[in-house]
Amino acid sequence: MIKSKHSKWGDYLVVFLCVIMILVFFLPVWNVFVRSFSSPQALIRSDVYLWPVDIDFTAYTLVLTDTTYTWALLWTAMLTIGCTILSMTMTTLCAYPLIFEKLRGRKFINGFIMLTMYFNAGTIPNYLLFKSLGMINSPTVLIFPYCISVFNMIIMRTFLQNIPDSLRESAEIDGANPVRTLISIYLPLSTSVLATLSLFYAVGRWNGYSDALMFMPQNKTYYPIQLLLYNIIQSKESLDAATQEGFSTPGASDALKAAAVMFATIPILMIYPWLQRYFIAGVTLGAMKG
Amino acid sequence: MTSIAQSEKNLRRYRTRMYLKRYWTLYAMLALPLIYFIIFKYIPMTYIQIAFKKFSITKSAWEMDWAKNHGFQYFIKAFSNKDFYNALRNTIMLNMLNLILGFPAPIILAIVLNELPYRKFKRFTQTIAYMPHFLSWVIISGLALQLFATRFGLVNTVLRKIGVDSIPFLDDSAHWVWTYVFLGIWQSVGWNTIIYLAALTGINPELYEAASVDGASRMRKIWHITLPGLKSTIVILLIIRMGYIIASDFDQPYAMSNTLVTNVSNVLSIFVYNYGIKGTQQSLATAVGLFQSVVGVMFLLITNSFAKRLGERGLW
Amino acid sequence: MKKLLAILVTTMLLVSVMAPLALAEDAGFVDGKFTETRTITVAHFDRDTEGWDVDNNVFIDFIKQSMLEQYNIDVEFVTTPRWTESDNLPTYLAAGTACDVSYTYSDGTIETYFKQDAVLDLAPLLEEYGEYLTDMVDFFGTNLTWKLDPVEGTIYAIPAVRIETSRINTFVRADWLDKLGMEAPTTTEEFEAMLIAFKDNAELLLGDDADMMVPFALTEDVSWRANNILVSCVADADMNDKTNYIYGYDSRQFLFPGVKEGARLLNKWYNEGLILEDFSLYKMGDSAVDNLIKAGFVGAFENNWDYPFTGGDESIYNMLTEQQGEDAKFIAIDPFQNDAGLTKKVLYSSNGIYIFFPSTNDEPLASLLYLNWMAKLENRMYLQFGEEGIDFEYNADGVRTIVTPDPGYYTRESSNNIDTTMIINGLDQGDATLNAQTKALSYAGVDSYYVELAWNMAMNNGISFANINLGSVEAEEGVSEVLETKRDETLNTAINASVEEFDAVWDAGMQEYLDAGGQAIIDERAEKYNAAYGE
Repeated sequence: MIKSKHSKWGDYLVVFLCVIMILVFFLPVWNVFVRSFSSPQALIRSDVYLWPVDIDFTAYTLVLTDTTYTWALLWTAMLTIGCTILSMTMTTLCAYPLIFEKLRGRKFINGFIMLTMYFNAGTIPNYLLFKSLGMINSPTVLIFPYCISVFNMIIMRTFLQNIPDSLRESAEIDGANPVRTLISIYLPLSTSVLATLSLFYAVGRWNGYSDALMFMPQNKTYYPIQLLLYNIIQSKESLDAATQEGFSTPGASDALKAAAVMFATIPILMIYPWLQRYFIAGVTLGAMKG
Repeated sequence: MTSIAQSEKNLRRYRTRMYLKRYWTLYAMLALPLIYFIIFKYIPMTYIQIAFKKFSITKSAWEMDWAKNHGFQYFIKAFSNKDFYNALRNTIMLNMLNLILGFPAPIILAIVLNELPYRKFKRFTQTIAYMPHFLSWVIISGLALQLFATRFGLVNTVLRKIGVDSIPFLDDSAHWVWTYVFLGIWQSVGWNTIIYLAALTGINPELYEAASVDGASRMRKIWHITLPGLKSTIVILLIIRMGYIIASDFDQPYAMSNTLVTNVSNVLSIFVYNYGIKGTQQSLATAVGLFQSVVGVMFLLITNSFAKRLGERGLW
Repeated sequence: MKKLLAILVTTMLLVSVMAPLALAEDAGFVDGKFTETRTITVAHFDRDTEGWDVDNNVFIDFIKQSMLEQYNIDVEFVTTPRWTESDNLPTYLAAGTACDVSYTYSDGTIETYFKQDAVLDLAPLLEEYGEYLTDMVDFFGTNLTWKLDPVEGTIYAIPAVRIETSRINTFVRADWLDKLGMEAPTTTEEFEAMLIAFKDNAELLLGDDADMMVPFALTEDVSWRANNILVSCVADADMNDKTNYIYGYDSRQFLFPGVKEGARLLNKWYNEGLILEDFSLYKMGDSAVDNLIKAGFVGAFENNWDYPFTGGDESIYNMLTEQQGEDAKFIAIDPFQNDAGLTKKVLYSSNGIYIFFPSTNDEPLASLLYLNWMAKLENRMYLQFGEEGIDFEYNADGVRTIVTPDPGYYTRESSNNIDTTMIINGLDQGDATLNAQTKALSYAGVDSYYVELAWNMAMNNGISFANINLGSVEAEEGVSEVLETKRDETLNTAINASVEEFDAVWDAGMQEYLDAGGQAIIDERAEKYNAAYGE
């Protein structure tokens, strides 16, 4: 975009706003980061805001040498990659046929799928289903139930719809069937939407813990890392435990909590900048003619 | 059968065969996703009948006894509960505020980011902006406490030092609502810009060039080019959002609430959690959930047809 | 041919009729041992202790080996998360994955599911197999019939035995009292005067940190963190089992007549700046208030009787010494007198966590034998105390003290292996005196003087209410969480209110509590009590 004709003041204002926003967004995250390096004594005195006090790596040593954490990180990474691939495949298989206007039953199928976005059966019906499928306490319950997000599917469908029909028609004249058209024409043009949706699915799976909490509580080996994190942070906040038992077990120190948060968050924070370069072409959700 | 009718029938059969020959792969592709939806979305929906029945942990949904009042016992129980109305009111209020303030925020942010002249700085800001999305509400509410507590919070300590009275960000109902909405925006705005930013890169740069030649100012360009380019994205997202007008997130209100502000912080999800899950009244919980879904779909249908009437492409 | 067929059919019919009969008699149990190995699953809480591993643990191995040898029972332990145990309970039951021997503190939930036939009735089992369960019957004593329904005759759960009934203590900074030349308070008025003195002398006591002064620290969980104060406002004549039955649905005595005046006192103190201003923002377990205590800014607080001593290096006791010096110590005090001049306080009763069998349990005898085995003193003593030299030592006076195993050995899940010995809460050597002595020495780095003082203060004038079971109370179904929240709301909003508004806010909150189901519970309980015992 050519900006040479704009006033410099406008640019400065924009930059200023961005700097403010950076501070607002970044500082709290920085605070957590800094706490993970501070000594327990400094944290108790709430002296830690912008800089670590009494640098202390014990929290990180604990986290990095604990095989539970490192395994959970590895497992969550594998789970995320696997789920993203599965989700992207299923989403594409679902979105692509729906762009063909001539497809019979299209309106019905659209409505059929869209309804599920709003009618959520709820936790109890879900675990009754998982129970009958034998998925309770099994890692399969982390993979299959959420493999298609209707929201993401709509994004992909709309994007594919915006690719000019002329491309498809000329391929059809050449005798290509729909699958060939998908592979040779649509997919190459879809890198941005594929990148965006992969990011959405990956982050969704990485951050998710409530499904493991509700449906796989007894299978600690396959806990996603966010659930481990949740337990650590909650360990002192468990309602009534100390009053029920009549004694209190020490929870994780503040530094350990902060270190665990960083440990679980940093890997996924790295992905976005890397995926950003694929967002070159646009992702639009509506008709966009020229 | 006359020969004309016979040939019409043959034509139809022929057409059907050609159609299937051409498009059978599409149906094959749809098979897996449709099976997924049936198993994981529609079958659990049959359990929604629990809302009309007396829940028993040992019986299957089909075996459970019907609830009193032709199955509406639990709906009546919910609707005659004062806490339910409070929760409903709070849910709508917080959702409306989030809609009015929180929906435009990522759009504005995306446009501001788009105006940044330095590409690397833009990328950097984008990456920073989406960081809060990765913090869970448990952590954010802990941070909020550190910052906003009336006595020991950092913000109030600074305020007192400069001679201003402390502001009860978290202990007063009115203030709490604003803190809640603000933190919600803080956490999600950066992430939500992704869709808009990606859409923005699809706007034809020649349009901007042409406008510059015509002598248009920055603001006019935004008004006449950027916003229309985003219009369809905005409309679709808004339609989807309207369907969730009465839905209720759990993590944020639960983590941020305290006993002093429950008259505004108790939303439907917390009502369901307290009565339905902790209180083992599963039928009640399912009834409330069903109510929410029905209302949500109604809003969705209304918004979608409204958008279509305005000339936009709807959700279907 | 037909004849052969007839014989075949008849034989099959006979067999199909006899087989179930044979199984029902459990003919596989001979001379106190099973003829074929039976398997049971037992729940083991996982409280995320670093380094603990259920598959690599001498105590677990000991249990498995002994059970196999003695009864031919193979015990399989399944870990379940401790902190979310009550949340996960419905999931386990609905999915049929609950262990044969399960535990929970949510007895109300179990009662609900018992009525839906998801939990076994233990009464007939105890009767049928009683002859093999002598150790269990001896150990549990009155706990065995804690949940016996007088009308139906059913028992849906058995509570574990709680050895230590000491509950809540009030702590105060001994060094601050010394600096101000004050004695430890012995009445509520003296306690208040002490708090005022703390506030007025903030600079003397804290120097530069004077603005961090917190005379009395509370959290959102007022009914626990000020329990002794609240209970001291209940008339002495009302502190009896009848009041506890009718008004004791709330485990924090919120409904006891007179508690309002205790809250009024707290409200007065709050408005005079004697209580932590932000207290309502800190939920139970939030480390912020603990941090204030550890950093030395707090003059007094109330919590579990041994709260300052738990946590090893990070205990309040040890951290305070580190932050503020050797003199900085919290001592337990007991100043809150009721109208009869007694510092009456509520103690735990002997019921701990509730043990139950889900209806998917098809080895009830084996499960009961597990509990019986655990009840034997020599077994549980080993599980609690472990090996001499590794897990415990004898001190100079011959008293056992628990120590942490050196690295290189296993890690215990908690200092007294509570999750492995679920049927008992508290160290037991079979002798009360020995128990007390060991207890005093079991806090790392803490001088036993303070522990003994805390113990005495906590038990002084304490009442353990008796268990009165008049059957299930219908009004209680499904309301416990809601009522608990409303209790906390009432207490917090009332204390935060101005002195003039206190009555209005309290009454409004209490009314909401009663409307949400509290009144119905009181009425039903009163009715039951009067029916059983007369007015």
